Amino acid sequence: MNTLEATKEKPEMGGTPLNIPISQNKRSSLTDIFNLIGWYPVFLREMLLFRRKLVKMGYLVSAMLVPLIYLVVFGYGLGKSVKLNGGDYLTFLIPGLVAMSSMTNSYTWVASALNLNRLYFKTFQILIQAPVSAGAIMIGEVLAGMVKGLFAASLLIFMGLCAPGHFHVTPILILATILNCFMFSCLGVITGMLAKSHEDTSTYNNFFILPMSFFSGTFFPLDRMPPILKGIIYLLPLSHTNILIRKTELDGAGLSSLLVMIAYTVVFLVIGTRLIKKYSE
Amino acid sequence: MIQVNNIRKTYGKVTAVDGVSFSIGKGEVFGLLGPNGAGKSTMIRILTCLTIPDGGSAAIGGRHVVAEASSIKSLIGVVPQENNLDRELSVEENLLIYGKLHRVADLPQRTVQVLTDVDLLERRDSLVSGLSGGMKRRLIIARALLTDPAVLFLDEPSVGLDPQIRRQLWDIVRRVGRTGRTVLLTTHYIEEADALCDRVGVLRKGRLIALDTPAALKQMVGPFVVDQITEDGRLVQHTARDREEAHELARTLENGCTVRRTNLEDVFIKLTGERIE
Repeated sequence: MNTLEATKEKPEMGGTPLNIPISQNKRSSLTDIFNLIGWYPVFLREMLLFRRKLVKMGYLVSAMLVPLIYLVVFGYGLGKSVKLNGGDYLTFLIPGLVAMSSMTNSYTWVASALNLNRLYFKTFQILIQAPVSAGAIMIGEVLAGMVKGLFAASLLIFMGLCAPGHFHVTPILILATILNCFMFSCLGVITGMLAKSHEDTSTYNNFFILPMSFFSGTFFPLDRMPPILKGIIYLLPLSHTNILIRKTELDGAGLSSLLVMIAYTVVFLVIGTRLIKKYSE
Repeated sequence: MIQVNNIRKTYGKVTAVDGVSFSIGKGEVFGLLGPNGAGKSTMIRILTCLTIPDGGSAAIGGRHVVAEASSIKSLIGVVPQENNLDRELSVEENLLIYGKLHRVADLPQRTVQVLTDVDLLERRDSLVSGLSGGMKRRLIIARALLTDPAVLFLDEPSVGLDPQIRRQLWDIVRRVGRTGRTVLLTTHYIEEADALCDRVGVLRKGRLIALDTPAALKQMVGPFVVDQITEDGRLVQHTARDREEAHELARTLENGCTVRRTNLEDVFIKLTGERIE
């Protein structure tokens, strides 16, 4: 210990004694984690930044470009020669693209923004140093990611409604899309908090999000997959979004997929909140 | 107001803060002086709830900085070393978000007040990305003052600023100090610590090696210094107890000697044998 004491003025002391045991160098209680007061400014900040991006045409074009390419290449190109269960391929494909697009947009926005704000812009410090709980930061970030995901999904739904075929917007599609955005925003927070550099977020994307886009029933029905792969595919959260989003009414399979999505969401939400709570530079 | 008791923090094999203890009274402007890597910023991060220490304890207003972090956050304002403003938001939007996070009452009035204090009111609608470095620094100070904090932390507040802007910033810090707030600032600029601080703690390699008023620290070395440039171009410094002794010493040494008052860098050199860089 290296003490040099020469206080000019006797320091003011409060209720807690100075000599606090080292064991108290832990951030406290679960109740604080789930105190959600203060989520709104976290959400508002992201929305103000999003509004600035929206007015730039480049953003709108880039948000629409990838799903549009998939729609044209797989839907209009390949899709003309494919029939699924007697229906046209485009009607099958569009809900899958809505699921994929909402996943990538909500996940990527949250993961990269959080990672950049934490490691490079240091704006995440403002949230950590504010008197708001980890739960409030989590919910604010996730809701903002959800809005961004829903915006991209809305563009695709609009394109789908303009396309030939029998694509309809059902309540289950809306429910599945909202839940999907929420779930992958939560996963985005986890990646944003864990990635040690911005390049790392791309690695997570390449190893997890991109394969999931192709293997989870976006472009073809899951029952056509080899049995050995099915077990793995049914573990992927997007598979359950793809099952649920194509249901016109909530049957047994739809309900079990809904429950799996809720379970994943809760797990991701708790892990993300814990990571924010434990944050230390 | 601030109590730090045997705080330790290591990153892997690097010890950033090694058993540092000090206390700061209410209304005091306190400086942590030291070279880069001395542990100053780590100390600030611990006290502002960004970093959890490995050992020891610290309290602000009697509240533990880790276990009672949420109540500490309402007491403090932080000016970090990095510019962590939202570049794509306007001046006013930056303050709006910060004010809402801290639940500032009368936010519109407080916003006008702090922007006036730092002379940025006319730029309230400008995007942060369009501000100069000095304006950004002033805006960060305005943001820290928005909550009317009891304790203000400034981590290297004038790093990278030109001398004129630096002096404007010192004026702001002096005004803050006069309002009775406790101020803790870190710096590696000698003149900044000398100009602003009631007391200075000198950090080196994570350890606190001296703590006193600037005047007392300089007195410890000797109030005057004779700088001598040797024939091979080295700078040799001699300390003297008074002006007469200094001039006498200068006369006895070879040409190229200058007599000047001791500064805090001389204190640091005396204590460590190194310069602050």
